[in-house]
Amino acid sequence: MAQVSGQLPTADVDHTYTSTGLNHRKLLMWVFLSSDCLFFGSLIATYMVYRGQSLVGPYPIDIIDVPITTVSTFVLLCSSFAMVQALAATNRNDQRGIQLWLLATCFLGAIFIGFQVYEFNEFRAHGLKIDTNLFGTTFFTLTGFHGAHVTLGIVWLFALFIIARKGRLGPATALDVEIAGLYWHFVDIVWIVIFTLLYLVGGFDSGPVAAESHALLQSSLSALPT
Amino acid sequence: MSAHHSEEHHEGGHHPTFRQYVFIAIILFVITLVEFLIIVPESLQGSSLVVAPLFILSILKFAIVIGWYMHLRFDPRMFTTVFLAGLFLALLVVSAVLGLFGSFQPTPRDYAQAHAVPYDPDASHAPEPASTASTALPPASEAPAEPSASAEPAAPAAASVGDGEAIFLSNGQCYTCHTIAGVSEIGVLGPALTGIGADAATRKPGMSAEDYLRESILEPDAFIQEGCMTGAGTACSPGVMAPLVTAANLSDADVEALVQYLLTQ
Repeated sequence: MAQVSGQLPTADVDHTYTSTGLNHRKLLMWVFLSSDCLFFGSLIATYMVYRGQSLVGPYPIDIIDVPITTVSTFVLLCSSFAMVQALAATNRNDQRGIQLWLLATCFLGAIFIGFQVYEFNEFRAHGLKIDTNLFGTTFFTLTGFHGAHVTLGIVWLFALFIIARKGRLGPATALDVEIAGLYWHFVDIVWIVIFTLLYLVGGFDSGPVAAESHALLQSSLSALPT
Repeated sequence: MSAHHSEEHHEGGHHPTFRQYVFIAIILFVITLVEFLIIVPESLQGSSLVVAPLFILSILKFAIVIGWYMHLRFDPRMFTTVFLAGLFLALLVVSAVLGLFGSFQPTPRDYAQAHAVPYDPDASHAPEPASTASTALPPASEAPAEPSASAEPAAPAAASVGDGEAIFLSNGQCYTCHTIAGVSEIGVLGPALTGIGADAATRKPGMSAEDYLRESILEPDAFIQEGCMTGAGTACSPGVMAPLVTAANLSDADVEALVQYLLTQ
């Protein structure tokens, strides 16, 4: 161990020589995630630009349910924890652990998607569709693409689970799990941003009436003799 | 660092231990909980005060996940550089777009200011309630019957009181200046319309309540009630309401529905 150069990447266990000294599959994943930042960045920017510009309801405050989404955010965080455990189990060749944690990650991801399906249905029941207003368009596009990323991740992790059941995952193939894990955690951090911007900050955006009553209230309050 | 780390792991390649991962998960949970608790007080919901703390907490979570869960902290720096480059570009795009077309605050711009209508949870899905009341003429009949009524052939029966209220509160934009007790208390610029159905009949001698209301909508300046709030900036001043009515672009049926609605108020 002592003679191994500290510059070798963690997962470069097959000691493949590369021009960068880094494992290219792993580097490719990071380049992809880097570009995915731009993808989600653009969708988030679009949502932010159109905040408050919807002409008809429902407006965010009418339908956004912060407590429920906080729960689903917890679920996604849990799945990230399960993911790192899956990788740790792979590195120590704990076959039962690999299967268990991969399945747990899939399961928690599926619960998150379940919450999203519930939320989208609720919104539709309140009259918000993708073409109802700018809020609906930008909200469904952004969270829909995020949900699609999660769904793809579930499929990927479940495929790994099937491979794990055949006993083909272990320290020698840990990179397969690690790369899937990078993707999964990325989906988690995108949700951290979406949760903050669309729910905690933007979830209370209101339509014109509330804004006007608020202004009216402010003006009558300031008119009160002190 | 950890007993069960296999030989493939070299310095600079440590992954945190199980216990450390649990610790990190707890930190992430606590931060999320704090974020939620911050916006529990109603006074803080949608307030600009909470934006900075929420941002800082999210950035913290973001950094913890990429640093530990995605183990950028323990990997060669090149991975971090590649990722941060994309993240930086993304932030640049977001700030450029927001700087060009909007702002961080959800303030409605001119178009939304002029056209946005309030959300009515009941009307959004169920079809408009079928005419809630018969459109029978109220006390108007006490005014001397006018033959002029024939000039306005019976309005299409479609005009219902329910439609009128919807127009009052939405595309008619009436509510932005007029109040009706129990319907809308927002607009204070123009005269209150509570009880207008009964009042309308007494306004212009020889004109039915219905005709008076119609005239007041289509030609607001034709008659201004004595004692109506006047002065700069109030809607009783001639010339204030007419352009707004034009802008609302009401159809004949809309006007009729409004008239029938106001008669019942």
